[in-house]
Amino acid sequence: MSQVFDRRSVLKASGVAAAAVAVGGSVATASSVWAEEADPAFTHGVASGDPLPDAILLWTRVTPTPESLPGSGQGPEVEVTWEIATDNAFANIVETGNVVTGPDSDHTVKADATGLSPATTYFFRFRLGDAVSGVGATRTAPAADAALAHLRFGVVSCSNLPQGHFGAYRYLAERGDLDAVLHLGDYIYEGGGGDVRPHVPAHEIVTLADYRQRHAQYKTDEHLQRLHALVPFIATWDDHEIANDAWSGGAENHQPDTEGDYAARKAAAHQAYFEWMPVRSEADKIYRRLRFGLLAELSMLDLRSYRSQQAKPYDDDVDDPNRTITGAEQMAWLRDGLINSGSQWKLVGNSVMVSPVLVPPLPKDLLGPLLKLLGLPEEGGVVNPDQWDGYTADRGRLLDTLVDNGIRDTVFLTGDIHSSWACDVPRDAGNYPNSPSVAVEFVATSITSDNIDDITGLPPRTVGRVIEGALTTLNRHIKWAEVDSHGACVLDVTPAAVQMDWFFLANKNDPASALSHGRSYRVRAGTQKVARVGSPVTVGNA
Amino acid sequence: MAATFSRRTLLGGAAGAAALGALGAVTASTAGAADDLRVYVLVVDGCRPDEAVGEHLSVVRDLAEQGTSYSQARSITVAETIPNHVAMMTGVRPDRSGVPANSVWDPARGEVRDLGEATDLKAPTLLERLPAELGVPTASVLSKDYLFGVFGERASFRWEPEPLLPLTNHAPDIFTMGAALDMIDDHDPALMFVNLGDVDRFGHMDLSGSSIRLLRTLALIDTNLQLERFVDHLKDRGTWERSVVIVLADHSMDWSTPLSIINLDGQFDDDPLLAGNVQIAQNGGADLLYWTGPASSRAEALVHMRQIAESAEGVLSVHDPAELRLGTNAGDLVAYAKEGWRFTDPSVISNPIPGNHGHPTTEAIPFIVSGGHPMVRRGQVSPAPALTMDVAPTVAALFGLAPPPGDWDGEARTEAFQSALLPA
Repeated sequence: MSQVFDRRSVLKASGVAAAAVAVGGSVATASSVWAEEADPAFTHGVASGDPLPDAILLWTRVTPTPESLPGSGQGPEVEVTWEIATDNAFANIVETGNVVTGPDSDHTVKADATGLSPATTYFFRFRLGDAVSGVGATRTAPAADAALAHLRFGVVSCSNLPQGHFGAYRYLAERGDLDAVLHLGDYIYEGGGGDVRPHVPAHEIVTLADYRQRHAQYKTDEHLQRLHALVPFIATWDDHEIANDAWSGGAENHQPDTEGDYAARKAAAHQAYFEWMPVRSEADKIYRRLRFGLLAELSMLDLRSYRSQQAKPYDDDVDDPNRTITGAEQMAWLRDGLINSGSQWKLVGNSVMVSPVLVPPLPKDLLGPLLKLLGLPEEGGVVNPDQWDGYTADRGRLLDTLVDNGIRDTVFLTGDIHSSWACDVPRDAGNYPNSPSVAVEFVATSITSDNIDDITGLPPRTVGRVIEGALTTLNRHIKWAEVDSHGACVLDVTPAAVQMDWFFLANKNDPASALSHGRSYRVRAGTQKVARVGSPVTVGNA
Repeated sequence: MAATFSRRTLLGGAAGAAALGALGAVTASTAGAADDLRVYVLVVDGCRPDEAVGEHLSVVRDLAEQGTSYSQARSITVAETIPNHVAMMTGVRPDRSGVPANSVWDPARGEVRDLGEATDLKAPTLLERLPAELGVPTASVLSKDYLFGVFGERASFRWEPEPLLPLTNHAPDIFTMGAALDMIDDHDPALMFVNLGDVDRFGHMDLSGSSIRLLRTLALIDTNLQLERFVDHLKDRGTWERSVVIVLADHSMDWSTPLSIINLDGQFDDDPLLAGNVQIAQNGGADLLYWTGPASSRAEALVHMRQIAESAEGVLSVHDPAELRLGTNAGDLVAYAKEGWRFTDPSVISNPIPGNHGHPTTEAIPFIVSGGHPMVRRGQVSPAPALTMDVAPTVAALFGLAPPPGDWDGEARTEAFQSALLPA
């Protein structure tokens, strides 16, 4: 772990403070000045998250002594002071407070700065004795009744550190026009080893110490650290924060015979997550809702903690009404939020795809009874039962809620599958477009996690194109799929439309790799249909 | 202004005419911005929001681009024609207007009937208040007989719909729009309230509603032509630049198959406590349920009624009318249908029409504030949660009309206008 402690790519307070400015209402930065040496006590950087109109969650991790390494359980209890100000020179500090931390919380620090003003850019930092952290910039959410004209989010998922560099995070940090970054899960990966760069620890993580060390490693990545320092995150977990294809009682990548009790592993993973991520937690519950004035409301889901075990492909278990992906309580919360939302755009942070991806999709009303008789899924063959396709009863409940209550402008924002998609979401995919779209879904590709060209070893845009053609031909509601590229997305929200811009890395193995615009899709208000647009939104035009 | 009772004639409303006569001297001295202002509220009855942005209503799309479109607009519940037109002109909820649905159980008459009589409407409307309080003439051009009935003689000028088509009891849009244009030419009302019924009426009957919506589409195409006539007429007259045009729907529309029907009456009759003691006012996608048995059994009966209704296939939810602010004549319980379902009560053949509304899935509506007047903001989409009952306070704000006793329940949509140009 010495390499973690000694890492030099951290923000220097004065550097970021000088670079971070408010542009057009969003947190922004010019080309940041990178640190020569930051105080080793704050090696893991600073972060903020879950913006509310009057509060923001601040995060850091301190290393008060050389032995206080992540996951070590070593080191003293210390008191850390936080400060939040309206200026980057901290001449106008609006709130300050102290947090005691120690080995029990892995020396992580979380402080909810309250009493803030809506839609305001703030600067924050931490002190441990004479040591001062880098300066972070953040921004509160607009007032609940604000009729704002614009929001812009970064949208990311699936950042597997050994499979590449986080150039996509760097790109988002450099944009300078984001209100927040939505991380849709797979922020860390549980596996060991590494291709491009090694995981720490080198083995698959299972224990609390393992998970803490893994989080610590990710928090020292220079690109991720920079983005955390400049833009508040709104994150949820997917499976790899614990183990591949996790469900409420286990995971595909968990072997009880050799890795012990799954509940203990899950508890350890969750504890480390809540320690190391700038998210609010309430009794191990991560699903939550954040409002951005009258313009948007964001429901962040937890699709791993309460779900039934995955069914097998082409197994009619996917239709079992007693199986769930959300759990009853979360489903009731989600439906209630959609029905009673006072905001125009109902954004749903959704870790796995909700759109049917079926081979082929079949009209349920027509062929459902026959398929049921044959023991096949009523809506058609399921490619990936880990997605909502594997839990059709819950998907039906959710989509019925939208149509039964006349709810418009619902946008699912999804990660998980390391590829890019723009979809209409019909209630009955086999009858689409006669079964009209009731929502849309934008799927962000992976930051680094392997996809088709990586897995097949074939050149990009070869076999991938064949797969994309098959998927969109068989599933007419899927308007676009791209299964080769990695990168980040930008979601632009206005009363008139929501637009997703995909930006792709030229080479994920190169930390300095450029990104270029890949594709853009938009849903206009009231339409529930995606349509391609030629250009991304202008950077900084917030 | 003397009333002439030919059906083709534009009638002078007695109350409005008298008020105008008495206040004629002050007509020219009403609030400054209102002196030459003309406001037209055009209701495309039953129009869905996806249709308003679709290929067949190009005029509505154009108006939206020239004004403010409310992307989250909804009707008030119950999403029926009469209560929402009443809400537009009164600005208050049904528990104050007396009109919660199209059809209610009338215990005095011992029948389920439409609220299509002038005495059914208990709240003041813009149609008589503007002439009475500001000397501003108003007009109503309403294609449906029950709308003509419920607003009675409130407007200064009114058109009695004709020719009424059999079965639909409405005048086709081509005639309604003709009357509206005549109304402008003959009387030039400052506020005109127009209902275009084709989209709704042909939608109700459209057996292809769940698929290609053939009749509905034809109606949309024709209504678009009528709206084009209206805009062109104002431009030809040279009055477009002093006009505010509000285009909205009263509710939208949902289609169901013959097998997706809900009959509660039969299930109530199977319950010994309820048999013969429940009346149902069926409103397409909503049923108003009335306990008519002994008062001493009411509490127990409502539990039975709720349990039966909630467990019926196709029922979305059951509510206490008070929580929905529907008023006492809405009965004891209100049941909503799911999307793709309809109520048919009392018998399974009582409601054979495929297109229905009244349930929450039909609450989403288009709502556009446009026109050529310079105070209209251009090219806005607003996420504000506009409701049909916002029309009255919005129009009142334009003319400088005070709120009614007890204030508005709706909210003036002033974000659609340049605030500096609004009357103080």
